[in-house]
Amino acid sequence: MSLSQNKNQVETQSNRWKWVRIALPLALLLAICTAATAYFPKSAKTAAVQTRTGAAALRQNVALPPGLTAVDPGPRPLPATSGNFLPSLSGNEQQIEPSITTEFNRAHDVIVTSPTDGGLGPRFNGNSCVQCHAYPAPGGSSPPSNPLFSLYNYNGATNTMPFFETSNGPVLEARFINQPGTTTPDGNVHQLFTITGRKDATGCSISQPDFNTAAAENNLVLRQVTPTYGAGLIEIVRNIDIINNMNANLTRKAQLGITGHPVYSGNDGSIQRFGWKAQVRSTLTMAAQQMNVEMGVTNEVFQNEIDQTPGCLLNGVPETVTNFTPGILTEMFPGDYTRVEHFIQWMAPPTPGPSNNSTKNGKTQFNNAGCVMCHTTSFKTPPASRPALGNVTINLYSDLLVHHMGPGLADGLTQGGAGPDEFRTAPLWGIGQRLWFMHDGRTNDIVQAIEDHYSLGNSQYPASEANQAVTNFNNMNSTNQQDLVNFLRSL
Amino acid sequence: MRRSDNSPIQSNSGSNSRRRVPYILALALLLAVSLAILMTRPAVVHGGVLAVDPGPRPLPADAGNFYSTLNTNQKNITNRLTQIFTEVNFVAGGPLVKTVGMGPRFNSNSCSSCHAYPAVGGSSPPNNPLFSIYQLEGATNTMPYFVTPTGPVIVARFPYKSDLHTLDGGVHQMFTISNRTDAPGCTTMQQPDFNTARDTNNIIFRQTTPTYGTGLMELIQESDILNNMNSNLSLKQSLGISGHPNYSDDDGTITRFGWKAQNKSLVYFSGEAYTVEIGNSDEAFPSENDESIASCLPPFPVPPGTNKTKGVPDDRSDTGEAPKAGVNFPGDLERFSLFMRFLAPPTPQTLTTSTSNGLAQFNAVGCNLCHTNSFTTPKSTIVALSKVKANLYSDLLVHHMGPGLADNVNQGNATGDEFRSAPLWGIGQRYFFLHDGRTTDIVQAIEQHRSFGNGIYPDSEANQVINSFDNLSQQNQQDLVNFLRSL
Repeated sequence: MSLSQNKNQVETQSNRWKWVRIALPLALLLAICTAATAYFPKSAKTAAVQTRTGAAALRQNVALPPGLTAVDPGPRPLPATSGNFLPSLSGNEQQIEPSITTEFNRAHDVIVTSPTDGGLGPRFNGNSCVQCHAYPAPGGSSPPSNPLFSLYNYNGATNTMPFFETSNGPVLEARFINQPGTTTPDGNVHQLFTITGRKDATGCSISQPDFNTAAAENNLVLRQVTPTYGAGLIEIVRNIDIINNMNANLTRKAQLGITGHPVYSGNDGSIQRFGWKAQVRSTLTMAAQQMNVEMGVTNEVFQNEIDQTPGCLLNGVPETVTNFTPGILTEMFPGDYTRVEHFIQWMAPPTPGPSNNSTKNGKTQFNNAGCVMCHTTSFKTPPASRPALGNVTINLYSDLLVHHMGPGLADGLTQGGAGPDEFRTAPLWGIGQRLWFMHDGRTNDIVQAIEDHYSLGNSQYPASEANQAVTNFNNMNSTNQQDLVNFLRSL
Repeated sequence: MRRSDNSPIQSNSGSNSRRRVPYILALALLLAVSLAILMTRPAVVHGGVLAVDPGPRPLPADAGNFYSTLNTNQKNITNRLTQIFTEVNFVAGGPLVKTVGMGPRFNSNSCSSCHAYPAVGGSSPPNNPLFSIYQLEGATNTMPYFVTPTGPVIVARFPYKSDLHTLDGGVHQMFTISNRTDAPGCTTMQQPDFNTARDTNNIIFRQTTPTYGTGLMELIQESDILNNMNSNLSLKQSLGISGHPNYSDDDGTITRFGWKAQNKSLVYFSGEAYTVEIGNSDEAFPSENDESIASCLPPFPVPPGTNKTKGVPDDRSDTGEAPKAGVNFPGDLERFSLFMRFLAPPTPQTLTTSTSNGLAQFNAVGCNLCHTNSFTTPKSTIVALSKVKANLYSDLLVHHMGPGLADNVNQGNATGDEFRSAPLWGIGQRYFFLHDGRTTDIVQAIEQHRSFGNGIYPDSEANQVINSFDNLSQQNQQDLVNFLRSL
């Protein structure tokens, strides 16, 4: 963490919360002094600035911390090591794999012509699940080329591309901290695009959100796509196992400054597991929520269009419903959201690459540095009503808790029991082939992603719980650092 | 306002709030003064209240039918939907036709045990069904102090955790499967300590809500709810009525179901109720409701050839495996929601001279400013639900209801004293009123809408309206009550 980076963070915070401006000079001074105290003793070993793809665009002037020599080998090449269904699914379950895959891949137009198609909009981010959950295989996360560029003007739509989307960047969706022009908390997704101008949306005229103003007012939060592999296993991990793991190694965690807590469902009091702030409980709720929020496809869980401007309501609601027609199994299956749910639920976890001496040592270093105190190596699922999901050891590298991550990552947005600087420990399985890191996809360099876990506290947020672990990483010799990075890229 | 009416409400508000020793002394003093005043006045229960509740309309039920406008394919599955809604749940074992997966904690063993009156899908029946459930199959439960044979089915929530400070708010199920013959090995799971919760004033109750017409409620457009909220603003302001929606964290739209409008849709509602009330975990909420005792979790050691629960979630979409082979349909969760979605609203009685005037008085005093007479659904893919006028008598908003009703539980953005305007359709045959089922007297239910603010909560938004009701002539009051009992 360099001085200039710290200064940038302080400025960002002060712009976001106007009242802080009053205290800016003081805070800046304080931050500089704190950073100086932390780093000047080691400054003799300051490494040269390394040029890094992706990270370079955002942080060209950022000096790497002292002693940091590891280099991201980059994502492992295709073929994908994920994207398969669980191999132990029953014959009957396998029988509907084509049907649920079709649903996950389906591109939605606006007008509904059968119970399974249409329904896009009035506002949307994408027109299919697979478009963004794309890489390294369907169900994954952002592909190398941003798919939104072939979508936003599709079929006559008159959208402009928001400034934060780039053709070679991650797919990002936008949330507003406050309702525009107010201090009333918002927090909802504000969809990038509208169906206005599309040939299949005659009569609809609505504007895209004003992202430029939102950005100027520091009211804009960006979030990238999370991969869905193994979600059916994650959702059935016992709450009590999550709690027991939270309460394990307390001395070590205290030494490292690590706490963390679960986010609970208001419905049944169980622990939520999905989304950047652990705001979603299950694959069912995720699938249904995403259909309405990301595509605007109303369904039996979320029946109301998010924008109800007359002229834009071109279908009856909900736009996808249970197919009541008697027939063979695939036809009798319930509404689209349930098919998407099962696609997500039945995806197998990614298969890690073969381990070698470097990755083996890397895993040891991962544990030694304390990464493992949040990125818990594994949980075991309990017995399950679908035998394929039960009694499976899942190497997800997450404690499924949320942690304070400091002003550097804080996005100012509270979701359920997760505060504005708290994020769920992102599961690391599959990051060997992942292209973008952190909640806002700010870097494609996995070393930079590690470093981004570090940030000192300010007047608004405490220090990141990862600071000591990242410092431990930075203090390793170059072989150990590189082995740790190689281990991550083997997942 | 009459003191005799006032004092019970104030003392009740005290019982619902957290207190410390000085407060106990102060409240004791207040109670003593109130009682003294009560005893020195004539025994008028509702001073100025001259109406009498004619009581629930007798059976046959004016509710419980499916829409006659369902299409053939939809009608063809209604029998199966009813079957699943009325099915009794067991823990494990037994014939393969039984539904298993109940517990380890539960309030009841089927949807229809509590959603019972005046027909399947409704609310609490006159005789409490829990008395025939709590010790079924050898269970060793004791009956909590607050459940009575002729009282409503109520579930318990604890506003705070045992430190009486950290927020809780969750349902604490009354019963466990300990020692049930269909839960072999589970013997040590204890019921919650409701007596301590009572003694520390850390328990609140919620009764069963009816499900008729809910398919229409979930479709009502958000813009219509907001337009209604923003209509008659000056009148609402003069009466002290505001109100606001509760919103979904998921998609930002307005939530509609439950006493605090905390649930978005019938799928959520069934998914939650199945695991919270019956303990049957499902695909929306795939955790058992207590995981602390391994011997009380599936799979249970049951004899071969009987119903072996494999694990979580207890209920899942059916892909045709045994024991339900051939039933090519989604999980119970989906079926419950379809059952409720297809249930038509209650049919009110034809208006008479009295009830016509009662409706006029209902609107004149301002009841309808929260109990909005009707909404019309938008165009729907379910034709039976499309563009239907729903006379639900609710604005689907939550309102401050004063310390007298406040239960100190926050749900979504509904706070401790806020409740959804309960839909009034069907109350003509309803037995128990208000969120905790505190009264069977509809006149008392009206009066309970009034309470004055204290240091914690503001006045009830209904105060002015209740005053206006009390100031009506006896005839007008009675007509209004008769109108309510005609719904």
